[in-house]
Amino acid sequence: MTSGNDGDTPAGNLRDTLLSLAAKGYAPSMPARKGSTSDLSIDEALVLHSVGWEPVELVCGAAAFSIPAGIWTWNQGEVVAASAAYAGAMGRAASALQAECRAVGGHGVVGVRVDVAVERHLVNAVMVGSAVAPSGGARPPALPFVSDLSGRDFALLRLGGWDPVGLAFGASFVNAPRRSAAVAIRQSSQNVELTNYTEALYAARESAMERMQSVAGQLGGQGVVGVRVSEGPLPFARHVLRFAAWGTVVKASGRPDQLGPVSVVVPLDDAKLAFDAASLRGR
Amino acid sequence: MSDPNLPVDLPRDAGKRLAELKKLFTSDLSVNEFLLVKQAGFHPLGLVMGSSIYHTGIQTRKWSKSQELTKLTEAMYNARELAMTRMEEEAEQLDADGIVGVRLDVNYYEWGSDAAEFIAVGTAVKAESGVSHRNKLGKPFTSDLSGQDFWTLMQTGHVPQGLVMGTCVYHIAHRGLGQTLGSVGQNVELPNFTQALYEARELAMTRMQEEAERLGATGIVGVRLEEKSHQWGSHTIEFLSIGTAVGDTGASLTLPQPTAVISLDN
Repeated sequence: MTSGNDGDTPAGNLRDTLLSLAAKGYAPSMPARKGSTSDLSIDEALVLHSVGWEPVELVCGAAAFSIPAGIWTWNQGEVVAASAAYAGAMGRAASALQAECRAVGGHGVVGVRVDVAVERHLVNAVMVGSAVAPSGGARPPALPFVSDLSGRDFALLRLGGWDPVGLAFGASFVNAPRRSAAVAIRQSSQNVELTNYTEALYAARESAMERMQSVAGQLGGQGVVGVRVSEGPLPFARHVLRFAAWGTVVKASGRPDQLGPVSVVVPLDDAKLAFDAASLRGR
Repeated sequence: MSDPNLPVDLPRDAGKRLAELKKLFTSDLSVNEFLLVKQAGFHPLGLVMGSSIYHTGIQTRKWSKSQELTKLTEAMYNARELAMTRMEEEAEQLDADGIVGVRLDVNYYEWGSDAAEFIAVGTAVKAESGVSHRNKLGKPFTSDLSGQDFWTLMQTGHVPQGLVMGTCVYHIAHRGLGQTLGSVGQNVELPNFTQALYEARELAMTRMQEEAERLGATGIVGVRLEEKSHQWGSHTIEFLSIGTAVGDTGASLTLPQPTAVISLDN
């Protein structure tokens, strides 16, 4: 539920910083470092710069975990091997990303795109993001943070007095319960709740969320923001319900909130069409 | 059921996760929304959800008669209420003041024809000042407003009271051969269709308003009117109107004067 409007950055300070930057002719006080690669947009790089961070390098982590054959038959309960493979692939991809980030001297990775594919025989996780470091060449931490927040969100979060500490994720694969023929026939002629399915969905959702929370707890976070969930049946095993959730773990940094009062803006672009006559022409 | 504090309706698995949320919050709010909710004086407690898988789709309809399909309406209501109530129970469990950013969805799955999952997801919040913001019925408020909308609403001396909805499943009569032939080659209104759609919409809107009145709300903001055929064929339509009922706190308007901006991004 990210707002599509980027014009409402509620940071007076941010604006001041950007203005002072412009006055200085954007002369980054970075240590001499060889050119950096990143997939950040110009706005994002500028906003990062305004809070004293610079992109270092585009980093990538990938991992594939195999799933044993024959576990997708219609059984009961959770498909434990699949859940374990998912956790393994995500965990390994994240640590590969951290290793690459450490190698280039980054303090963390922002804007991580998580691409995870569950196939019949393997789980494939790929994470791509931009390693960032504060300008001034401070010593990088032993364990860089990983975050799927954009550069803009990262800057906002820091101004608001929070730090990202890592990516939390959790998934669960649960078999939909079978109904006996008698129950199926009885239910097919009524408007009723199918309680056993509800229970199965709850089981998947709760264990996925709980796994995500325990990863967040291990990272020492105080909360998880921007949680994204993906749910639904698997394309190759329609009786299995997948529920996966991930988000960025945050922790209060102890710095004061520098956001200041929020100002209200009315964007003047993108005038909306009040009446679209195209529909009258039969499309 | 091991935990005696847990509402009976809530599946057992929900208990453990909610117990853990005392230490850590989870939220599907974006960073902007998160910071704005904090600015509005609230703290997110956790992602709360409610869901119900429901079998709907049974009611005979007359081919040539426009009518409300009351059994289906009841089923759609009941299923959504179940999902909403379970979400509210989770919020209750977290001792929340309210739920923001509620999404109410209907999903269909392959393994059950006519079985649909009704799901409600939102972020439970609590006022940092300790002042209760619960609604007139003493329950946590629910609202489908985003973090931005929530902040703005709070600056205008209003508080959300609850997510209110009205639904109506309506069968629109097919036209007879005579009627069809009569209007071929002419530009005319098809009054039976217009009438049926009107009535269905009015029923849905009225029901939503009744829910808001029960909450003692002074208005409903962000109303959406959705029309869906689900899996019932083209002549059976569900009209769903949904919005956030708000109440007036009498507090003065603290919204800053808006500034017009022209952004440089596209």
